[in-house]
Amino acid sequence: MMRKSQRRRMSAIVRYLVLTVWAVIAFFPIYWMISTSFKVDTQWFAWPPVYFPHPLTLSNYLNVWFGAEEYAATQYAISSQKPLISLLNSTIIATASTFLSVLFGSLMAYGVSRYRILSEARMFQLLMLRMIPPIVVVAPLSLYYSALGLLDSMTGLILIYFLTTLPYAVWMTKSFIDEVPREIEQAAEILGATRWRTIFEIVLPLIRSGLVATFLFILILTWSEYLLALIITKTQVTTLPIELSKYQGTTEGRVYGRQAALSVGITIPLIIVGLMIRKHLARGFSFGMVRR
Amino acid sequence: MSVAVVSAASIPSQPSPRQLSRQRAIERFRWSILGPLIALLAFVLMPVLFLQLYFSFHQWTVYLGSWWDAEYVGLDLFWEVLTDPRFGWAMVRSLVFATGSTLGCFLVGFALAYLMHRPFRGQPFYYTIFILPMLTVPVVVAYTAEMLLYQSGPINDLISHIAGIEFKPMWLTNPDIALLTVMLLEIWNWVPFSFIILLAGLSAIPKEPIEAAEILGASKWRVFWEVQLPLLRPVIFLALVLRFLEAMAEFPKTWALLQGGPGTATETLPVYIFLTTWQYFQISKGAAMSYIVMLLMIVIVLLAIRLLRREKRSLDTMYAVAGQGPAG
Repeated sequence: MMRKSQRRRMSAIVRYLVLTVWAVIAFFPIYWMISTSFKVDTQWFAWPPVYFPHPLTLSNYLNVWFGAEEYAATQYAISSQKPLISLLNSTIIATASTFLSVLFGSLMAYGVSRYRILSEARMFQLLMLRMIPPIVVVAPLSLYYSALGLLDSMTGLILIYFLTTLPYAVWMTKSFIDEVPREIEQAAEILGATRWRTIFEIVLPLIRSGLVATFLFILILTWSEYLLALIITKTQVTTLPIELSKYQGTTEGRVYGRQAALSVGITIPLIIVGLMIRKHLARGFSFGMVRR
Repeated sequence: MSVAVVSAASIPSQPSPRQLSRQRAIERFRWSILGPLIALLAFVLMPVLFLQLYFSFHQWTVYLGSWWDAEYVGLDLFWEVLTDPRFGWAMVRSLVFATGSTLGCFLVGFALAYLMHRPFRGQPFYYTIFILPMLTVPVVVAYTAEMLLYQSGPINDLISHIAGIEFKPMWLTNPDIALLTVMLLEIWNWVPFSFIILLAGLSAIPKEPIEAAEILGASKWRVFWEVQLPLLRPVIFLALVLRFLEAMAEFPKTWALLQGGPGTATETLPVYIFLTTWQYFQISKGAAMSYIVMLLMIVIVLLAIRLLRREKRSLDTMYAVAGQGPAG
């Protein structure tokens, strides 16, 4: 008996050890980003590295986000736009494309779940919209967009984000709709409700929390997208990841503190959203195939 | 469940007028949803694919006047790409990068998921910490990596202190290890993906077969190999396949951190296509390259889809048996 309990305690210790080591690995870069954002410029890449910044300063945030002049770094001139405007752009683009994606996605998902408007094979082919790397179409896309006047516009990005996230929306919402029993809809139908009314007043409200999870999940994808934004936006419309990458082109050395302050601002909303739907992340990333 | 109802509705034997009108209504409903989508795809995707094809057969760069007057060169561009050793190496790098990071993510993710699949004190805390890397924007990962990995930077400093030896690899400027650096970043970034999927899979495995095996005196090791692993197979495939496809398309970290450098050490397919098109302005060569990569990816994705279809069936069966999922 004694030996068994000892062995159990040993395995518990090993488990906590391994998990803690990985927790440190997972968290350290994020800690470094956060701590660098509060460092004064002499500590950005001091040697030995400064693990616990002292004194703490807000100058990086004030400069990057609000362009406070007294903290202005000369490098900042390279950026054509204030990050607050990029923040607004990112918010509008991500929200609008995600909304379209979830709206269309859930309607399609309902059709597939209840009336098989797409065969199983077609549903899987839909995944190709997501699985073929976007790099293979960005060049002609940018030409086509410039012909349409969609280059450097929010509409252009919203449209392409909508298309590339649609597979996730359809598959994820379908996995939620599949879990709703049909009897309620049948009852509504017998009572004479039209199909659209059934969808909007019965089915979608029933999977409300699933819709919210899908919405937030796709928001994560659109918020952090880089390649398409890099190609399609030029000067008028910039999203936050592109705004951040502008700091890299500076010639006068690295401005780590500023970059970190911007990075924290970009990441915090994602972390909040991600933790809100942490139970649904597996379902999202696996196209609804894995559930908890 | 839905399958059964639909097939009942669509059995062609003597459709009553009522059934017919119902069927017509469903058709209307179907096209009112699919119509706009197909129109949109035709409007956005068709012209783009056509343009791509056009450029693959016509030599054009931005210096050569209007693109619609470009010279027809037949298969020359494809030949040029296929005989370009740099393209070959980019392909090799992409495959190495995708395979390595997929396996890395899988092994770490699996270990973590296995250690966490039974509840214990502190589990929610670890879960929260473990998913954070996935919630960090890839570009942010790249720039943070730069802050961490320069030669006298904190990572080398910490490892030197812990190991008690001088540890100073040049993560970002040594061409021999730059690709490995990007792979490690990809692994750091996406271990959470494998972790959450495998954890969900492990937690969904029905308890009865495991308990039965334990009662029969099977060791933990045997339970793992002979009960848990086979039941987990669909989830494992899913984690591997989806991760591999995403890794093949990986661009933000590789580009933002190293732009394919030092030299061509981290020049994967997406990076090389990007360089050709947007830095060397060889639009046509880039288009031909894109076409080849697209065809390759279509083949890979079709294979992946075959696998996924099979594994999804067994997953659905498992959820149905466990009684927590739908039957359809």
